[in-house]
Amino acid sequence: MIPRFALSRPRTLDEAFDAFAASDGEGAWIAGGTELLQVMKMGLAQFRDLIDIKALEPLRGIHADGDGLHIGALTTHREIERSPDIARAFPGMAAMARRVANVRVRSTGTIGGNLAFAEPHSDPATLLLASDASVRLCGPAGERSVSIADFVLGPLSTAREADEMLLGIDIPAAAPSTGRAYDKIAFFERPAASVAVRLTIADGTVASATVAVGSVGEIPERVEEAARRLEGITASEEALSDALPAVIDALGAIDAVDDLNGSPDYKRHLAGVLLASTSRAALREASADV
Amino acid sequence: MSASLTVNGRTRELSIEPRETLAEVLRERLALTGTKVSCDAQVCGACTVLVDALPVSACTYLAIDADGKRIRTVEGLADGQRLSPLQQAFIDHAAFQCAFCTAGMLMTATALLEENPHPSRDDVVEGLEGNLCRCTGYAHIIDAVLAAADATPADVR
Amino acid sequence: MKRVISRGSAPSPIGEPVPRRDGIAKVTGAARFTVDLSLPGLAHAKLLRSPYPHARIRSIDTAQARSYPGVIAVVTADDLPDVQLVYGHAVADHPLIATGVVRFAGEPIVGIVADDPVTAEEALRLVTVDYEPLPYVMTAQEALGTDAPVLHEQPGEQRPHRGFEEDIARTHANVCSHSVQQWGDVEPAFLEAHLVLEGEYRYPRSYAFAMEPYNAIAQWTEGELTVWTSCQHPYMVREDLAHCFGLDLSRVRVIVPYVGGGYGSKSYTKIEPLTAALALRAGRPVRLVLSIDESILTTRGDGATVRLRSAFDREGHLLAREATILLDTGAYAENSPLVGRKAANRLGGPYRIPALHVTCSTVYTNTAPASSFRGFGAPQAVLAGESQMDEAAAALGIDAVEIRRRNALAPGERPWPRARGLDADLQADLDLAVEAIEWDAPIEPGRGRAICISASDAGSEPMSTALVRVHSDGSITLTCGSTEIGQGSSTVLAQMAAGEMGVDLERIHLMQSDTAAVTYDRSTGASRTTTLMGLAIGAAARDARTQLVQWAQETMAPDGPTVVETSGGVTIGDQSHDWGAVVRSFFGGSAGECVGRGYLRKHGATEQMPPFWEIGCVGVEVSVDEPTGRIRVERLVTVGDVGCAINPQLVEGQDIGAAMMGLGMATREELIYQDGNLMNGNLFDYRVPRSTDVPDLRPIIAERGDGVGLYGAKGGGEGSLNPVAAAVANAVERAVGIRLREAPFTPERVWRALQARDAAGTAPDAEAGDASR
Repeated sequence: MIPRFALSRPRTLDEAFDAFAASDGEGAWIAGGTELLQVMKMGLAQFRDLIDIKALEPLRGIHADGDGLHIGALTTHREIERSPDIARAFPGMAAMARRVANVRVRSTGTIGGNLAFAEPHSDPATLLLASDASVRLCGPAGERSVSIADFVLGPLSTAREADEMLLGIDIPAAAPSTGRAYDKIAFFERPAASVAVRLTIADGTVASATVAVGSVGEIPERVEEAARRLEGITASEEALSDALPAVIDALGAIDAVDDLNGSPDYKRHLAGVLLASTSRAALREASADV
Repeated sequence: MSASLTVNGRTRELSIEPRETLAEVLRERLALTGTKVSCDAQVCGACTVLVDALPVSACTYLAIDADGKRIRTVEGLADGQRLSPLQQAFIDHAAFQCAFCTAGMLMTATALLEENPHPSRDDVVEGLEGNLCRCTGYAHIIDAVLAAADATPADVR
Repeated sequence: MKRVISRGSAPSPIGEPVPRRDGIAKVTGAARFTVDLSLPGLAHAKLLRSPYPHARIRSIDTAQARSYPGVIAVVTADDLPDVQLVYGHAVADHPLIATGVVRFAGEPIVGIVADDPVTAEEALRLVTVDYEPLPYVMTAQEALGTDAPVLHEQPGEQRPHRGFEEDIARTHANVCSHSVQQWGDVEPAFLEAHLVLEGEYRYPRSYAFAMEPYNAIAQWTEGELTVWTSCQHPYMVREDLAHCFGLDLSRVRVIVPYVGGGYGSKSYTKIEPLTAALALRAGRPVRLVLSIDESILTTRGDGATVRLRSAFDREGHLLAREATILLDTGAYAENSPLVGRKAANRLGGPYRIPALHVTCSTVYTNTAPASSFRGFGAPQAVLAGESQMDEAAAALGIDAVEIRRRNALAPGERPWPRARGLDADLQADLDLAVEAIEWDAPIEPGRGRAICISASDAGSEPMSTALVRVHSDGSITLTCGSTEIGQGSSTVLAQMAAGEMGVDLERIHLMQSDTAAVTYDRSTGASRTTTLMGLAIGAAARDARTQLVQWAQETMAPDGPTVVETSGGVTIGDQSHDWGAVVRSFFGGSAGECVGRGYLRKHGATEQMPPFWEIGCVGVEVSVDEPTGRIRVERLVTVGDVGCAINPQLVEGQDIGAAMMGLGMATREELIYQDGNLMNGNLFDYRVPRSTDVPDLRPIIAERGDGVGLYGAKGGGEGSLNPVAAAVANAVERAVGIRLREAPFTPERVWRALQARDAAGTAPDAEAGDASR
């Protein structure tokens, strides 16, 4: 049962910030509400005022330019799934969005809400972490940009100030010959482990790589050592297969959480299984792009 | 707050409390009790209704957000006494037992077939993944959705 | 759908897949469930629940809540001096609201009634409870420790005539009940045996997830109590309500609209007494709707630890079985003593065993109460028994189906002295499963097949009544107390009435489940309705027809010719008359009614218990994804050995649904407790099977007319669940050479077993679990 709250529906950013200021610290933004209303129902959070930001134009839209992809915070998972721009510029993101939660959550849940809520099992956060994405935040004091790596601080905790709002996500255009892949294993509603890999090939070798692992530790995290071990290998299936044991071994550094999905060593093992498949997929995509 | 909800083609002006969910308004204010609430956590799909043709969990969708939108519930599927092909297929295949999930299944499947009138079996299985049924083991439901798709002429929709 | 029919013919519409009679209502949203009802002046209740698994309640401060605007009543145990608070099915040990002590996290302590549910919930936050936390026990093993905290200082009063008649011997203060099943002398058999296997098998604490949560409305009018509730057994709920409130049975009315899922979890009394107590104090009709999260805390399935020892001769014949079963019944007995009794009965399986000794204790723990759940002791026992049959087959080098054939009871053979002989042909059932699962065909690597069987003493007690009311236009009202919980009783019972009265199905109207308006039925459970209520309907129809033929003779042909009964009426000379004409003739006008009465009791054909054996026979083919440990059931065969499928489409639905539920418990479902709290008491983390889990299904229905019911029918709907977990374990063993003994076989458990296999250097095709010696 959702507890009582007051709702305001600002039409502009200024109105929104005024409404937030008027809430005396007992306010929260609401967009799709798929996460927020759920925790309110469960009594885990309570807000006197909710400020509905769905009408704010600056938070809408998807566009691609030379810099990369710019996705408004209000973009739903479904819109990401179906956007021709995203399909062209970042097919792995569309594929990821297609598997978020279920069809109903994808209809209403937004990418901004997902990131701002910082649920430790977030699919987008893990993928975006490996993609060097950043979020644009806007508060009464103005706008700033924060990388995803610096944005997610802990479970359900981000660098966003209470009166700041997430405007959108910027995903830099991939360098030529880059592959980006994401995959997850889920036993329950949320993933038990998820892995995102970015690989860029230059001169027949893996010139740079990023590895992000979600759902295993407390928050999605980059595993730099795993990425380092991918770098420099010959860009071939065989070389990758040879390198993988050492790459996967680097996941041992993850401080895995013991939860219903499994014990730490099992979850790290699952991440390794995923790292193998996503590395291969990323390599294929990067090779095809040559 | 005042809102205008168009439910199954009929527009209603309502005064809505912000905390009211679409499921509460449909069931308690509009007497449309066909929509059921089960897990109340957006997992089971029992409360699925269509808002502007998209399936949503009415248990966690604020009624006020449906202001000015077109809502369809299980009560709106039949055309008078004439059942929709999907409803008929559910009866023909005994695609329900206790039927607490049925309204949600029908709405999800309706949206699925509107988008993809001739789905493969895998399309149906994946399309229904977010709707739980504890009685049937799903087999008859999947059969019914495929049969309803077959019953729809290729040139319709 | 595959049907294999070798029974006598039956009248129309018996055996026909007629559409469900609740179909249109259920696909249009018109079907009303308890949760859909409303009443003028209806008030709403919410419950405050204990955060502690075991605590003494020092004090409860409700003052602020009582004065909160919109609150109508605040109710604690102290507010109910005029109510008998303790109820219980087999053992009365369960207070309808906590009385000074809480025994599990989630036990209701305070009920608040308000004008609307939000206000009630707000007022709950104003209540403060002072608890003195007590030591707690989370498992049956812990509960049986010498220093274990005791949950119930005094044993609950044993309730007579509730199906559990044996003496409750408290071997330990936390033992709720103790059942023994025994014949022959096991010890010499173990000494003589060629092979003795011993192992411990675990079955999870589980949640039925009926999608309609527990909910009820209670209304008091002129000293009479009416309760609308989502339950399976309205007459038993009536009895408990009469007991709690000191009322005559005739002053309690329990009405059950469509029920959104039961699976045993809505057997017996749940929240009805509390709802009625809240309505009593509120002076208004009250609705209590639990959330699913609260429903999980209301009733769950019994977790089990089964220690089983089996003795075999060289040819694989069972010589003896000896077992100790511990069922974790949670904080209150509910129906677990019967579950324990049945687990002990069902451990022998459908086998000829010269000597057997099974003890089963149900044990109190500080967890949510456990009670009936589809299969009822059988899935727990069968996992052990059927796993060990495969282990023996492997150890003896005998085909796993062949070892079952060698031990299976023959038709008519008694599983134990004085029990009804087996009313099934297991060899023929095995033939069907072998063919459908392609037992002898080659299989791809990483896959394995298994076939398992079970027999349950089902049907509960034969105590049912029915009325067939023949109206003057020839239409018929059938009234009976069986509940429509989705299984299709409203269709099947009407089909039987139509068949017995020889009228079109459209002319039958069925009224169910209103204790003031329809006559008694013991329960809707134990797969009994088609068989036992069917017999009551048959008796009522016979009674009506006898009267009608006599009426026709007296009023239509007083001086002869002899009235001849035909299907749907009578013939006098060359004139045919339907039943309506006979009614009109008897009353001498255009109206009137003939009432046929049917009583079914432990008498005649249903004297010997059990009324029937419910057979389980399933085949599976599984694949194991070694990197993740994930199991997938790729193919599933069910053999529904139901005597006569009154409606084959509905039988098929029951079999598939039951098997899929079994698959859930085999692979994923388990309630997990940690530090006194339920960790996955919600649908995010308790995962039931989904559409993507559905295997390639081959449901088969075997109709041999060998049941005690009308047309040789017998019960179904649970049998196809019971052997599933064992079948999956056996198939996994054949696929990858690991023996799983703890269900659910989660990916991590499978992965760990695979790791252990690899560490031991055993090849995947190596035989024998570590249980053989």
